[in-house]
Amino acid sequence: MNSAVNVARMQLINKWTFLGIPAVIMVAAFLITLAIWAMIPATGVTVYSGAVQAVMWYFLALGVQSLTLTFPFSQAMSVSRRTFYIGTVGLFAVVALAISVLYYLLGLVEVATNGWGLNGQLYALDWLAGSNPVVQILFYFITMVALFMIGFWFATIYRRWQATGMLISWIAIAVVLIGLAGLTTWQGWWPAVGQWFVAQTPLTVSGWAALFCLVLGGGSYLTLRRAVP
Amino acid sequence: MLDDSRPIFLQIAELIENDIVGGVLEEESQVPSTNEFAGFYRINPATAAKGVNRLVDDGILYKKRGIGMFVAAGARSQLLAQRREDFYQEYVQPMTREARKLGISADQLTEMLHRTETTSDVTEGSVSP
Amino acid sequence: MNSQITPAVELRQVTKTYRDAKALDNVSLRLEGDRIYGLLGRNGAGKTTLMSVLTGQGFQSSGEALIFGQRAYENDDVLSRICFIRESQKYPDDFSAKQAFKSAALFFKNWDQAFAERLVEDFQLPPKRRIKKLSRGQLSAVGVIIGLASRADITFFDEPYLGLDAVARQIFYDRLVEDFAENPRTIILSSHLIDEVANLLEHVVLMDGGRIIMDDDADSIRGTAFTVAGNATSIQSFVAGREVLHRESLGSLASVTVQGRLSEVERAEAAELGLDLAPVSLQQLVVRKTMAATDTAAENDAEVGALK
Repeated sequence: MNSAVNVARMQLINKWTFLGIPAVIMVAAFLITLAIWAMIPATGVTVYSGAVQAVMWYFLALGVQSLTLTFPFSQAMSVSRRTFYIGTVGLFAVVALAISVLYYLLGLVEVATNGWGLNGQLYALDWLAGSNPVVQILFYFITMVALFMIGFWFATIYRRWQATGMLISWIAIAVVLIGLAGLTTWQGWWPAVGQWFVAQTPLTVSGWAALFCLVLGGGSYLTLRRAVP
Repeated sequence: MLDDSRPIFLQIAELIENDIVGGVLEEESQVPSTNEFAGFYRINPATAAKGVNRLVDDGILYKKRGIGMFVAAGARSQLLAQRREDFYQEYVQPMTREARKLGISADQLTEMLHRTETTSDVTEGSVSP
Repeated sequence: MNSQITPAVELRQVTKTYRDAKALDNVSLRLEGDRIYGLLGRNGAGKTTLMSVLTGQGFQSSGEALIFGQRAYENDDVLSRICFIRESQKYPDDFSAKQAFKSAALFFKNWDQAFAERLVEDFQLPPKRRIKKLSRGQLSAVGVIIGLASRADITFFDEPYLGLDAVARQIFYDRLVEDFAENPRTIILSSHLIDEVANLLEHVVLMDGGRIIMDDDADSIRGTAFTVAGNATSIQSFVAGREVLHRESLGSLASVTVQGRLSEVERAEAAELGLDLAPVSLQQLVVRKTMAATDTAAENDAEVGALK
């Protein structure tokens, strides 16, 4: 366990990777959004922004980098794959949780200030803001973890089977999705599917996403177990 | 200094012996440590130790606990005696054998040796580096 | 040192197959602790694969690879006692050399920071420059410094000198010998600059085509072969009945490398025949042995082919 903490400390030796760059992205995304809103003539209509996503896409890239460069380095540091995984994913979970809480708090501020005085919606999205705080935080958290895991797993697949592995995984995913779509059309399930989606709440979406994360997490761990630096 | 013809530990032992015979290392004086030998000749410390230990076994060097290696009293004369014996076996015996083959008598051989002695000053100066 | 019951390194019939090629072919090996080993052989002989499998970074297809009697794979106890920096070691993109050493200090319990700093000066490494902007030689220096300053019980150096100039390589060898003398541990040095490292090694393991073709103390190998040069007919009679490793000729002159030691009588005989004798360096011996092994393998293959 102690060495897993050391893995987290190693990831933080360069403060930019896990802390600095996400902070810059979040601040920049926020300021740019405000600037854009300020330029739009006020009409009393609520304006929306998806800028909260910006940092999440960085986490996808971070997931890739953790595996392609930090994993081989951790092997040279005589760190077992298990320890590397626990330390890296653990650190990421802490960072993601902190950002999720921050988003929730900023959402409160946003509501209190009437959308930053510009009637905007950035953090307290209608769909989400009605839920209880835990669900809101959970939703952000799970989304970030899912993106990190996708990056991490795909990089692991690339590491083990190179371009062929990537290609096969993408084709497999495409085949499954097209198959499902085909099946749905054939069986005339679309209305039911539509109703199902409408019926989802932030809590159930988080639940499904959490399940997805578990699959990603388990899958990437099992792939990493046999990865060669 | 070191070559590939023989094990390095033997060569190290011989280098130390040469220094004792040549008076560079005096009796009862301290010998460099194996690590110093290893560093100086850029060789494996274990190999250097093997060379030194061989001389300890032969009674040429002795260990003072916690201090280091020293040249034993009488080491020089012991080495000289040993080398003289080697000299007799490696040079004198083959020479006399060859001399007998060529019909050179003991007296003639002695005379030849005297002759080299008188010219050796010249050759020694030009041959030795 | 003391006779350990468990060897530092042990391989039992290890085979590693990549698609159709055998990187390791039924390799068995036992290495005692606290020595400097040379793992020699050509590129592709299987040296890196052997070290990868041993350290649990790579996987064997069959057989067992043990460090201190245990598998290293996912074994924190064993891993904490070894250090293996690859020849093409990757570092996090945004790391400087200094940050890499800071990481190493977290994981290697015997890490000596003062020693690492001294080595940084010796190699004139810019500690704050990003690793991805370092030259090939400086990159190698980072690996060498981590390997030396880690003071791990078993340290693997995989061709550690790529891009290092002669001066830097000499610094590496000098520091290695000095530090090993003060802190004895097991060093496994893979190299094909054999002449440079020959005197540092206590024991030599020579690989070729995924197999070990020589496994002996460096000092017992020294003088086990010699080259005789001179008149071809005289050589013919002189080397009769000996194992010839290599033969070269030019008109009536020949130069033959032969396995075995020479007695004083044989030396005299050679002198009488007007033949020159020269010792064979470890590097030459390795080259000859490797080529002889390749030839034998080719012959065997040809025989098998003929039988088919």
